[in-house]
Amino acid sequence: MEQRIIFHIDANSAFLSWEAAYRIQHGEKIDLREIPSVVGGDEKKRHGIVLAKSIPAKKYGIKTGESLYSARNKCPSLTVVPARHGLYIKCSNAMVGLLKKYSPLIQRYSIDEVFLDYTYGNKNYMAAANEMKERIKKELGFTVNIGIGPNKLLAKMASDFKKPDMIHTLFYHEIEKKMWPLPVEDLFMVGYRTKSKLNSRGILTIGDLARQDKKYLCSWLKKYGLLIWNYANGIEDSQVRNDSLPLKSIGNSTTTPFDVETKKEAYLVLLSLSETVSMRIREVEKCARVVTISIRNNEFYSFSHQRKLNTPIDSTNCIYETSKELFDELWKGEPIRRFSIELSQLCSNDFCQLSIFDLVYEKERKLDRTIDKIRNKYGCDSVVRSCFLYSGIKPLTGGVIMEEEYPTMSSLL
Amino acid sequence: MKILMKPIEMIAWFTNDGIPIPLRYRIVSKDKTNIVVKVGKVVTKDEEKLAGNRMLIYRCESIINNIQKTYEIKYEIETCKWFLYKM
Repeated sequence: MEQRIIFHIDANSAFLSWEAAYRIQHGEKIDLREIPSVVGGDEKKRHGIVLAKSIPAKKYGIKTGESLYSARNKCPSLTVVPARHGLYIKCSNAMVGLLKKYSPLIQRYSIDEVFLDYTYGNKNYMAAANEMKERIKKELGFTVNIGIGPNKLLAKMASDFKKPDMIHTLFYHEIEKKMWPLPVEDLFMVGYRTKSKLNSRGILTIGDLARQDKKYLCSWLKKYGLLIWNYANGIEDSQVRNDSLPLKSIGNSTTTPFDVETKKEAYLVLLSLSETVSMRIREVEKCARVVTISIRNNEFYSFSHQRKLNTPIDSTNCIYETSKELFDELWKGEPIRRFSIELSQLCSNDFCQLSIFDLVYEKERKLDRTIDKIRNKYGCDSVVRSCFLYSGIKPLTGGVIMEEEYPTMSSLL
Repeated sequence: MKILMKPIEMIAWFTNDGIPIPLRYRIVSKDKTNIVVKVGKVVTKDEEKLAGNRMLIYRCESIINNIQKTYEIKYEIETCKWFLYKM
């Protein structure tokens, strides 16, 4: 088989440069990319973390995910702009739209990352990559890094080398020179926990990992050890997928604007999450067999609890009732700042086991579908439960945008 | 030319293909009076889609206070808003 040519196109500081491009289009004279600036969540709602940073902000040591408070301490003149998810979707769609002209095999890996199979492209791959990069810069107003490799993993590693606005290649014969000297935590799928595990046994670079005995890693870290050993050696053969992966679970979470201390308020938050998550599971026509809830307390400790159900469910009330039971078993009375509900072990919703005890099932199903239809047509706040009135808790929470789903990061290439 | 990006009220006509052509617009000046400007000539028309947001840019000429001026106006397709972009 001919060697594949895979591109990984990654927007440089995506949220920030999209915001900057939008502002420039609207007459703003200062380019956010040239000053220390970050895109941050709303601090009043306790969502105050850095979502994206400019390169000058990076020089102050500001990291994505840290709090805005500590970022301001590092750089007092920092410009903070709010997040605008509608804009990001528009930018992402525009980028994919432009790239579709180059290859029909294109995979949206996340909102700002795209894999593209250029094996059968009609130009020299380097010329094509250059043209894509320049067109995105000129037409859409932001820069991208393009990594080129024989598979998705190496393409992704290559696009990460040096930023911004660059093209890098990483073919098999270049692995030793370009990838092996990098610290082991730069490898895809190696997080900081694995890093410390590997470092403790003297594995500091990707090269060290690649030169280990496969059997040794396999016996130590099991299947995952084999996976990262393969990755360190550039072995990965997944296809560029046009369609999305089959869903394994659906979940929503929210950080509440205040610490929740009473059971009544906690139930309300769970209900509002149940509304969102159940609408989503019905949208994809699935039912769930397992419900998991997790909470994070005011000291940032997280706990979770799950239950396997006898019959698969998709109704808002059933999900809410189950999560209430789970919550009662889990909660010890401490203030909570974050809630989440996750549904897993999904199955199709057209043939499923009914329970003889659920007498209202059909009625509830109809009611749920009707409410979904009304909300889809007239907006999410067109029908809400009266218990949320004056409660200070939104009737539906979780997720950034209700209208459109967009791909989020995944550990699967 | 200097970037102004001021919102303006516009009278325009649309071609059969749906392309808006500016005719006459009104702008609030510094002393809060309305100034009406007739678009004398559209010199060029371009489309830009920075940040995925489509805008039409027109380079136009008009006679303002007996002086011929060249300037640019922008039409944001998504919001149907007109702006005096540069003058």
